[in-house]
Amino acid sequence: MAIFVILYYSALIGASCLAAYYNKRSAFLLLFSLTLVSFVLGIVGGPSALRTVAIFAGALALAAGTSYAFREFLIQITRPNTARELRTAPLTASFGMFVIFAYTIAGIFAPWIAPHGEAEVIGQAFQPPDQSMILGADQLGRDMFSRIIYGARNSVGLALMATLLAFAMGAFAGLYAAVRGGIFDQILGRIADVIMSIPSLIFALLMLSIFGTGLHVIVIVVAIIYSPRVFRLTRAVAGNIVVMDYIEAAKLRGEGNWYLIRKEILPNATAPLVAEFGLEFCFVFLLIAGLSFLGLGIQPPTADWGSMVRENATLISFGDITPLIPAAAIALLTVAVNFVVDWMLFRSSGLKEQ
Amino acid sequence: MGKLSRLILKRLGLGLITILVVSVLIFFAVELLPGDIAESVLGQGATEETVAAMREQLGLGRPAVVRYFEWLGGAVQGDFGVSLVSGERVSAAISDRFVNTLFLASYAAVIAVPISIILGVFTALYRNTIFDRVANVATLSTISSPEFFLGYILILFLAVRTSMFPAISSLSGSMSFADLLQRTFLPMLTLVLVVTAHMMRMTRAAIINLLASPYIEMARLKGTPPWKVIVKHALPNAWAPIINVVALNLAYLITGVVLVEVVFVYPGIGQLLVDAVAKRDFPVVQACCLIFAATFILLNLAADVGAILTNPRLRHPK
Repeated sequence: MAIFVILYYSALIGASCLAAYYNKRSAFLLLFSLTLVSFVLGIVGGPSALRTVAIFAGALALAAGTSYAFREFLIQITRPNTARELRTAPLTASFGMFVIFAYTIAGIFAPWIAPHGEAEVIGQAFQPPDQSMILGADQLGRDMFSRIIYGARNSVGLALMATLLAFAMGAFAGLYAAVRGGIFDQILGRIADVIMSIPSLIFALLMLSIFGTGLHVIVIVVAIIYSPRVFRLTRAVAGNIVVMDYIEAAKLRGEGNWYLIRKEILPNATAPLVAEFGLEFCFVFLLIAGLSFLGLGIQPPTADWGSMVRENATLISFGDITPLIPAAAIALLTVAVNFVVDWMLFRSSGLKEQ
Repeated sequence: MGKLSRLILKRLGLGLITILVVSVLIFFAVELLPGDIAESVLGQGATEETVAAMREQLGLGRPAVVRYFEWLGGAVQGDFGVSLVSGERVSAAISDRFVNTLFLASYAAVIAVPISIILGVFTALYRNTIFDRVANVATLSTISSPEFFLGYILILFLAVRTSMFPAISSLSGSMSFADLLQRTFLPMLTLVLVVTAHMMRMTRAAIINLLASPYIEMARLKGTPPWKVIVKHALPNAWAPIINVVALNLAYLITGVVLVEVVFVYPGIGQLLVDAVAKRDFPVVQACCLIFAATFILLNLAADVGAILTNPRLRHPK
């Protein structure tokens, strides 16, 4: 234990000295404040607290390193234009991109990555971790790790489908309302008001109690609940574009509504819409996770993060953190998407402060 | 004041209409059931007679519009009909639980509102410092986590590993107030974490928006000390967005409370709603949805009215 403490402090102080020598001000401040913090915590909590701090700092450093490397990798493989944009990405954004990339890989190649099938019973209920099951077994003796990997495909896939549908409906209605205007616009606006005046989870519960919990029901209900948000944004963005001179010119040329939407408005509304897609995905993902946690989402035996938390919640009362891993997976993806969206919004809009 | 009261009356009227439309939606959504309530509740195996008896009992023979007005009339007086599963009056099942939910929500609000407004103002004042960045990442992570994740983390660390607070909030009428506060501490804390994150970010955005306006810059340029810029120049205009933020987030509490109640087995109306959805007990579902939706709409209404009332431009007309 003592060796660990000595090594830990000498590594920190050595790194701080190096940073100071090479005039890296922020790196030095960061390292040295970490040294001071661990010093205080080490006195209060002893070596075990120190170890926690070390692990935490290490994880953070690893994440930062991964994001940095991933950003450099992306800059190398993309074309010059995209690469220039990517250079402006903060580390948080590239961390987000890396996480999204990792989830995509896990989702697409789930059957090859997961050691067992998602519904395959291979052990006792709540069997502790061993050679074949890294995270142990769930309440029916299925491999937890495999189910988490498959969850990337099922939970994220479902949320993605619902978001796409919500987006298609909302964006199309918004664009069309902006072009058409008049009574059509008014009616759509009022319908959006009514849907948005009911809390989303409550609305979803009402609809699912009536139509049951089939996958298509969930996708359609969630899409209806979230499409008004997209509608409002698209309507606002498109509303600003519709009054432009080039739209007027296109109208005078005799172009139809569909042409205006596709060729004139959409290309100019892409940036805010892409950012909104990310945000929308987060909302939808959290709502669906909440629903499946309540037992109203994807039905067993299909692996799904929300319901996995619920099913294994008993383990938490024994101090085991395994049931929290799927919940953490949900949180991690949402944070990652938010990081990327933050960067996009910052780049594309007036959120630049002063 | 004529313009002001007219604006407020208009907003109140709009709120009332919204509640009515939503009640129509909640009532007639159930009418969309394939077949009708009796058939779908009793299932495939039911005989013609039982289905007919149930239809008779629920009064399904009469047109839906008539039943809607009966239901709405009852709901206004606090009577939501009879539960399909237990046969008890819905209002009896709801009333206690509604008080519990209100208690939990106000407990959370009392703690979350001051903290988040103060922190929000600080992050706005010291924006782009390390404090602001840390707060940004922390609130973003909280917002991105599902409520049940936060709830179980708190249970793990504060109830299981250290047993400072009970993991399950079982309430009884004979508990002292301090006991009650301690029993409901963890669900409260979960809600506070979620709502504080939202409220802080929104307060920060509102204040930054305000600080960017030209008259604040003018005040700065003429040499007003920073605290005076905030108190005398920014704050009068900041009340409207802050009140708005508070009311919107209280409305957010309404949704958050459902998941939190389920995690902590808290005897509130959210738990009742989830149980009723699983059992397809439509009168209870309708009643809970109406209560949640009405509270949500009322809080949004309060946000708008508060914003109108605190808008200096409307209070001091030219």
